[in-house]
Amino acid sequence: MADEMDEIINEFVTEAEETLERIDPLFIELETKGYDKDLLNEIFRGMHTLKGAAGFLGFQSIVDVAHRSESIMKKVRDREIQMTTPLMDVILKSVDALRLLISHIRLKDGVEEDVSALLKEQDTALENASSDQTQSLETTPDAVQSPEIRMESAEKPEPEPSAPVDPVVEQASPEKPQAPEHTAPKQKPHVQTITSAVDDAVQQTAKEKDVVANLRVDVSRIDKVMDLAGEIVLARNRLLNISSKLEITHGGDPLVENLGETTAFLDRVTSDLQLAVMKMRMQPIQKVFGKFPRMVRDMSRNLGKDIDLEIFGEDTEVDKSVIENIGDPLVHIIRNSIDHGLEFSDDRVAKGKPPKGRIVISAFQKGTLIVIEVIDDGKGIDLEVVKRKAINRGLITEEESQKMSEDALVNLIFLPGFSTKEVSTELSGRGVGMDVVKTNVAKLNGYVEVITKKDVGSTFRISLPLTLAILQAMMIKVGNEVYAVPQSMVEETIRIKKEEIKDITGQKVLTIRDRVLPMYDMATVLGVKNIVDDSKDYTYILVMVVGDRHFCISVDELIGQEEVVIKTINGIDSDECGILGATINGDGSVVLIIDLAVMARGLFATSSK
Amino acid sequence: MFDFKIKVLVVDDFPTMRRIVKNLLKQLGFENIDEAEDGNMALNKLRGGSFGLVVSDWNMPNMEGIELLRNLRSDDALKEIPFLMVTAEAEKEKVIEAIKAGVDNYIVKPFTAEILKEKLEKIADKRPSLKAGG
Repeated sequence: MADEMDEIINEFVTEAEETLERIDPLFIELETKGYDKDLLNEIFRGMHTLKGAAGFLGFQSIVDVAHRSESIMKKVRDREIQMTTPLMDVILKSVDALRLLISHIRLKDGVEEDVSALLKEQDTALENASSDQTQSLETTPDAVQSPEIRMESAEKPEPEPSAPVDPVVEQASPEKPQAPEHTAPKQKPHVQTITSAVDDAVQQTAKEKDVVANLRVDVSRIDKVMDLAGEIVLARNRLLNISSKLEITHGGDPLVENLGETTAFLDRVTSDLQLAVMKMRMQPIQKVFGKFPRMVRDMSRNLGKDIDLEIFGEDTEVDKSVIENIGDPLVHIIRNSIDHGLEFSDDRVAKGKPPKGRIVISAFQKGTLIVIEVIDDGKGIDLEVVKRKAINRGLITEEESQKMSEDALVNLIFLPGFSTKEVSTELSGRGVGMDVVKTNVAKLNGYVEVITKKDVGSTFRISLPLTLAILQAMMIKVGNEVYAVPQSMVEETIRIKKEEIKDITGQKVLTIRDRVLPMYDMATVLGVKNIVDDSKDYTYILVMVVGDRHFCISVDELIGQEEVVIKTINGIDSDECGILGATINGDGSVVLIIDLAVMARGLFATSSK
Repeated sequence: MFDFKIKVLVVDDFPTMRRIVKNLLKQLGFENIDEAEDGNMALNKLRGGSFGLVVSDWNMPNMEGIELLRNLRSDDALKEIPFLMVTAEAEKEKVIEAIKAGVDNYIVKPFTAEILKEKLEKIADKRPSLKAGG
């Protein structure tokens, strides 16, 4: 029986953790969407289930916390109270507490947390929310005008303001000025009460339309479509290749012309298909940004630093995988900025800065890149300190440090085992360093840059490709091999006379429109042999831009632009070898995709200023 | 005493809960226990086999316990199956709703084997099919 009990408890722990994991992101979704009955119901049910099972097993603390959380969710769901930020805080705290309680059960450490303070907080929050509600109802007399309809809406807390407003609806009810999704949390439930039968009907239709317009689809199915679209892209590329070859050899044949037209059509459709599939996976980055205000507020309180947080571009749409993986790196950067970057008010005033620190988080699209920035107006990163730490920790030698450029020095903070603060605080010192940021961003084929200035502040800029699966690439030839480089980092391609290349203290440079840029030979960088053809007095140059850095790469041949499907290569460390992945060329051969970010880092890490 | 040979269906979306309820039923002596994750699945199982008792949770995704109960009571082949509703708290309105829908009894979580036995005995008073030799 004891074993049986143990087993049941283990089962409970696993399921309870799963339940919490499932409902946790729903809160953020809820913050984004405002009132959403399905979401609220699911959270409610999770809490409810947890409470029920915990009751049997005698975990009273869990029962107490879950019970109160459930009551809050139920009242919100039934529109008896509104979800407010303090309420959300308490609920989130409760989820954290539940997780902690469950972890004690799992570890069998016998630790009993005192949840009485939290319970009191939950009760207070609920009380406050309830009295606020009464007040808000009292102050909106028009809400009580039509008792009949009120009855109905009390029985059925729906209809919620349908999120994507149909244009017809907007026309039909011009007195509804706000965009529902943003104002939903603030809306008094009954103000929305339908005022006439006509509106009623309109709302009904809108609701029905809503049902038809949205379909929940398993992500794995979308991914399957994505995969298949990728395969079509590859086949299309091959067809284009064959077709263009045939046009050269059998130019006059009407069948070949026909083939040419058909492939051209297929080409367009494939591009559209790609875009459509890509869009299916896109979600606004708000999903990630949504949790930052709370986090910053918590940190601000804990550290006693006054902080103004500004968030821009939360509507920027990014791939689902970005949503899933960018959260942790951003949390880390923000924590770092607040903890290490921003000064205390006194210090700021002494420096002539406004007493309140500023954090700006923004996202925007720049060409085919998504750029996410975290800017602080703190003290900046002290490169001398960074250098000393890196030497002390054996990450670099004294000698190496002499040769390092400022950028290279800043980038040391991304090395595993680096932390600029001797005593790591509770907030940013959790055994993970900024190296996690770099690794996670690299997984998304992106790169991180740091721009920092003493007493002005630091900017962490993450640049990510719009999509992970398809890459606009420039095909180049070095030696006998074809390679692909991400088009997004190629600023321009030019043909230059070899004599234009100058040598300044051992570094080849090129002057392009009055800009002196360092030049590197791709063959040398890759460690392959290039075709030495002295009869040609010209060479091809790619002007690259990686972050804020411009440089030139010489290649043997420029083949052209192509949309390539990135296939990851198993068993290689992209960060180590500078290969992003591979793709299949139009002629069926395998082409390596060069990771320019890694390459650039390698080129500049040792270059002296 | 109960007819322990009857087939009992335990309905709950939380696997741990199903296991706990199953164990309690076993403690009482029931041998033939099946389970379902939600109302839909339960309904399918009930339609497919000769069950003698349903112990169902209220709050479940897809089909809630109350809906399962209503479906059962409106189905001529299934309407005589005893139904014990498991609820998290004794909310008056909910109890009334369940009684209206034709529930045989309800039980509030958490409960012991002893309480479960009491509730089943009350059901058996009205439904002889639950009794040994009934």
